Order: sequence, then structure tokens, then C-alpha cells
Amino acid sequence: MCAVQLEVRNISKTYQTGLFSKKRKSILKDISFRVEKGQTFGIVGESGTGKTTLGKILAAIEKPTSGEIFFREKPLRRNKEELATFRRKIQMMFQDPEGSLNPKKTIQKSLDDVVGLIKIPKDQRAAVLQNTLRTVGLSEEILVRYPSQISGGQNQRVTLARILLLKPELIILDEPTSALDTSVKAQILNLLKQLQQEKELTYVYISHDRDVIRFMCHDIGIIKNGRLC
Amino acid sequence: MTLLEIQNLRVTFDTSLGKVKAVEDVSFKLMAGETLALVGETGSGKSTIAHSIMSILPTNAAVKGQILFRNQDLVQLNEKELSHIRGKEISLIMQNPSLALNPVFSIGHQITEPLVIHESLKKSRAIAQAKDLLKRLHFKGPGVAIKSYPFEMSGGMKQRILIGISVILNPKVIIADEPTKGLDSRLKGMVLEELKLVKKMENSSMLFISHDLHPAREISDRIAVLYAGEILECGLTVDFFKEPLHPYSKGLLESLPEKGFKPIPGTPPSMIHPPEGCKFHPRCPYKKKICSRKMPHFVKVQGRDVKCVLYS
Repeated sequence: MCAVQLEVRNISKTYQTGLFSKKRKSILKDISFRVEKGQTFGIVGESGTGKTTLGKILAAIEKPTSGEIFFREKPLRRNKEELATFRRKIQMMFQDPEGSLNPKKTIQKSLDDVVGLIKIPKDQRAAVLQNTLRTVGLSEEILVRYPSQISGGQNQRVTLARILLLKPELIILDEPTSALDTSVKAQILNLLKQLQQEKELTYVYISHDRDVIRFMCHDIGIIKNGRLC
Repeated sequence: MTLLEIQNLRVTFDTSLGKVKAVEDVSFKLMAGETLALVGETGSGKSTIAHSIMSILPTNAAVKGQILFRNQDLVQLNEKELSHIRGKEISLIMQNPSLALNPVFSIGHQITEPLVIHESLKKSRAIAQAKDLLKRLHFKGPGVAIKSYPFEMSGGMKQRILIGISVILNPKVIIADEPTKGLDSRLKGMVLEELKLVKKMENSSMLFISHDLHPAREISDRIAVLYAGEILECGLTVDFFKEPLHPYSKGLLESLPEKGFKPIPGTPPSMIHPPEGCKFHPRCPYKKKICSRKMPHFVKVQGRDVKCVLYS
């Protein structure tokens, strides 16, 4: 039997509706699911159903109002040290390829920021970077460019390279191909599948595109009116 | 009857990195009452063609060729002459509804603006006309929608409002630039139905721009495939989806979900230093020696125009 990589138990999220209002709006209600190592769990739902909010909660970017997250069967404690380790193991890839990278930094600088976080000797950093670029199908020519000077597909590959440098175990993919062309979408989806096999990555794939979910996922949950069904 | 004719259109942009050849020698005709889809990858020049027709390109753009509408070349018209055509005769549905609508004005203000400016209607009459249009577009509660602000609406609703704004003056040509981009399948279907409805209501012609082949298939009569600023194949939509002719068209259809997301290898070329010969040859599985030297001319194959040496 495969090990459970991520388990979500009874997650709920409510927001205050206005600055001075005491009214609260319920976005997610009692969400529970588990994802096994090396598998992809798909979260499907129409726009505005709380898919991205759930993704942010899973990546510990947002706190749930109630409920618990278990990573490798251990509950997530929200102290500083544990969150730092957790956030490195779980990474999130966003929808907007250009918005995911700092427009004022070259691709080299964006990647160097991440390389600086990895505990590897300085003389090996260039080789690690080169190897990661090759893994995501990019050439070194791209390093001197800015995000606005490369295509949407290339931007998503750079984002993926930044994520892979941190050696994550689980990636939350929030509509990573919805802004891409059909052929580029196919390239990125195939790359994600290949990386999953090579590195035994676990994915939570958020999308409103049923074809993409069918192609990528082993198991799915549909969000409707804030509940997973 | 030809309503809009593009002849040898070339658009270049002067940038710090060099001259970007965004559109190269593009020619096509839009017939009265028909929908022509322009499909291709991001950066292939689809929106540049739309913006050339509307004459809303940035100042670093240089346009050559002819854009003929009712025997007038739009490229030669001045701003004043163009203002009588923009919105009234030819309208553009922009691709990002969140950015295309002004966040500080109500929907009512924005949808009635063309009526007040072009038709000199009084505000109250313009509001009544706008409500009537929204009702015909099956908007639930047009009165509420008129009083709302863009932030109070979902992406799909904003897109439908943009459609309303662009057709309120009954234009002869509607240019829909990626109107379904980023929408979920339910909203996508709703927007497509709306476009079909307005086209029928006004008996207009439509230039439908999309990188997504599914909506193009659903809405268009003819389809033109763009790659790196050039049209590579143009013909009836039904024939195109039954049997694509150009290797790039074949690759595009193979990357569709129903074909198992098989990608086209490689990436689109640089638009500043494009490859010699056929621009698709570095990625083409059928390339021949001549492809890297000479760009083929259009040939007629099965009633379609194709630019590939495989057919010459």
C-alpha cells in the first residue's frame, strides 16, 4: 500500500464580508481528502467555488478557520520552524505565468534567489542550475531575459525550475495551463507527468478544465457550494 | 459580398532589442454575415491584426498594406475619420474583461457611452436602450446590472457586458479577441451562445480570434491558421477539422485533449530574427532541404489555401 503524503481533515474557511461588517461568508465547508505519494489528486469546480483558497490553505499560505492538515501522516504545526520546512516541501504553481515571476528581475536573478536558499557549496550551484534548466527543457540563453521577453510557456517552465530547485515532495498546481495555448499546454502537461514519474512527486491539480483533470489525475474531488463531493 | 479585406498587411514594432516582425504579408477577406476564426499560438500576431484594423496600435508600430472597409483604406484614414468607424461600424471585444472595463464607472455609464457619443442620445433613452439590449442577451435583472460596478461582477458577466458594449451600435463587423480566455467551460459556452445571438440579431460579420481551437470550431464558418505572423492555412472550418493540411495545423489538432495532448516539439521562433525559409521548418516533422531556404507560396488544395512545399 502506498504511503499517504497529504491528508486534509475537515477544513473549513470563512471570511469577514466587509471591513466593519460582522457578517461572515463561508467559502469551504468540511473538506476532507487524502493523496498518496506519487499520485495526482484533482480538484475541479466552477470559477469562484474556492478552489484557489483551498490550494493556498494546503500550501500554508492561508490559515483554515477550522480543520487540520497532515503531511506524511504528521499534523502541521504552525510554528515558524515547522512552517519553513513544510513550505519548502510543498510548493505552489500559479495560474498567471508572467505574474509568478518578478518583472524587474532577469530569469538568472529569479533563479539565483532560489539557488541561494539551497544548502549546497557555491561552486556546485551553477551546475545544479544548469541541470534544472535542462530538466524543464530550457536553454541557458533564457537566463539574460526578463519575464516579459519570454513566452507564457517558457515563464511556466522557469516557475517550475524554481520549484524543482527546492526539491519539493508535493506541488499544488493551480490552473498552471489555463492561460496557455493548446500546444504549449500539451508540452507543460507532459513535462509535469514526466517529472512526477522521475522524481516521485505528488500533485494536487486545481482546474476547471475537465480534459486536463482527466489526463493528469488519479483521483478527483468536485467542489460545489464549498463542499467536496 | 466582401465586407472587410486585408491586403498584404505587415506590422513591425521598433523595440530596444530590434525590429519585431509581428505580422508578415497577411491577406484575407471577411464576407458579409460570416464568421472567420483566426487561430494560432500566443505571439503569432492575431491581436496585432485586430488592433491594426481598429488602428489602436502603439506608437512604435509601423503598418504597411491595405485594410479595406467599404472601399476605404483604414490605414490611410486620420483619427477623426476613424472615430466614425470605430465602435459604430467595426467594434472590438477586448480579451481581458477585468482590464477592459473602467473600475470607477458603473456598467450603465460604460454601456451607454457609445450611444451618447455616436448617436447623441439622452442618458435616460440610452439607459432604456441598454436595458433592452441586456434583456435580449438574456441577462437576468438588467436594471441591477446597469447600476453595478465591474468589481461586483464575475469574469463571465464582465465578458458578457463587454459584448453588450461592442454591439450596442449594431456594428457591421465584430472583432472578438479571445472572448473565452480563462473562462470555465460553462461560462465559455454561455459567451459563445451570446456571440452567436448578437451576430444573428445584428446580421454582422465576425472575426473570432482565439488560441483555443474548440470555440473556433463551434462558432466559425472559415478558419485561418497563423504562425509567427503569417497565415499558413485558410479554408472552411469543417474541412480543416476533418483533415488539416499544413504540418503546423496537424500538430495543433494533435495537441488537443481528445488526441491525448501530444505537443508540437520545440518553441515558436524569434520574431526579431525569424528563421530563413518556412518559419515552421525547425519544428516540422516533414521538413525538406528547400524548407530552410525558401518560403512557399499559397497553393489551392481541396478548396483551401495552404503554404507548404508538401503541396507545391
